[in-house]
Amino acid sequence: MKEQWRLLKTEDNSAYTNMAIDKAVMVSCSRGKVPPTVRFYTWKPPAISIGYFQSLNEEVDLDACKSLGVEFVRRITGGGAVFHDKELTYSIIISESNPKVPKNILESYRRICGAVIKGLKHLWIESKYSPINDIIVNNKKISGSAQTRKSKTVLQHGTVLMDVDIDKMFKLLKVPNEKIKDKLIADVKQRVTSIKHISDNNVSFNETSDAMKIGFEEEFNIELVNDNLTKEEISLTKKFERECFSTTEWNYRR
Amino acid sequence: MQSKSVYKVPNGKLLKIFLDYDSKNKLITNIHITGDFFAYPEESIDVMEKKLKDTLLTKKNLLEKINSVVKKYKIEFIGLDAEALVEGILRCME
Repeated sequence: MKEQWRLLKTEDNSAYTNMAIDKAVMVSCSRGKVPPTVRFYTWKPPAISIGYFQSLNEEVDLDACKSLGVEFVRRITGGGAVFHDKELTYSIIISESNPKVPKNILESYRRICGAVIKGLKHLWIESKYSPINDIIVNNKKISGSAQTRKSKTVLQHGTVLMDVDIDKMFKLLKVPNEKIKDKLIADVKQRVTSIKHISDNNVSFNETSDAMKIGFEEEFNIELVNDNLTKEEISLTKKFERECFSTTEWNYRR
Repeated sequence: MQSKSVYKVPNGKLLKIFLDYDSKNKLITNIHITGDFFAYPEESIDVMEKKLKDTLLTKKNLLEKINSVVKKYKIEFIGLDAEALVEGILRCME
């Protein structure tokens, strides 16, 4: 019998809630309260997440966020700023001691990205891993991921772009040199793609998450079982949202 | 004196250093290490910033201090390394 992992589908949460849920599940998993967990989610309203080490003011145009109704939050993972709009975001939370995830960090990125690659295949999209933390289709990025490890538990979360609006993204993110902004936007348009751009039709969140579910099951030879957050996780989510992710101290710390 | 550098680490990520330093004695008074790199454990970079205070701004001193923190806290970098961190810091003085 295959190992059973938990599958959570939590659509349409705020930026603070989404990051708080990932942390809550990580704590719950580290306490041995829940099995390895895969979560598929979306962001409502759209949001920018920045990497743990990034400077909020340096990376994000906060006035533009306000006027366009876009939220922002600092992640507990490193990496770069991401505009979360028309995408499926995944997270996987699993004990470091589980042999299905390599101990070596770079190898574990490759393995987990392998699940997304298999998922994309079920949407008839051929993609490949591009170290350190990207997945590409015809040399264009379709997915980016970030990982942290705490209390002997791995958390990796990442995007699968269902559609992408580069012009809107550049209204929200600051660029190092305004003079070359137009060229930069043109470059990024050449280097980023989405499921919609490749398959030429709109693929829904449910279709994408169905494909990703199979991808994770195949990659890890497991069965994903639909479930919900535990009472403890809901309580931890509220706590982390209140005490961390919604606070000025956290979001502006760099 | 306040300064900032932006350094694309070869085959790595973008490092942005915000540095306050005593220009007379060439000592770090405050430093923020930012960017889209990965470092495990993440909190070790907060320690690194504290430990770098009062460090003499020479390649040798910076590398020694950074390597000692890396060793003590078993820091694993992805998209960054000690040499690149030194380079980013020294670029603040150019």
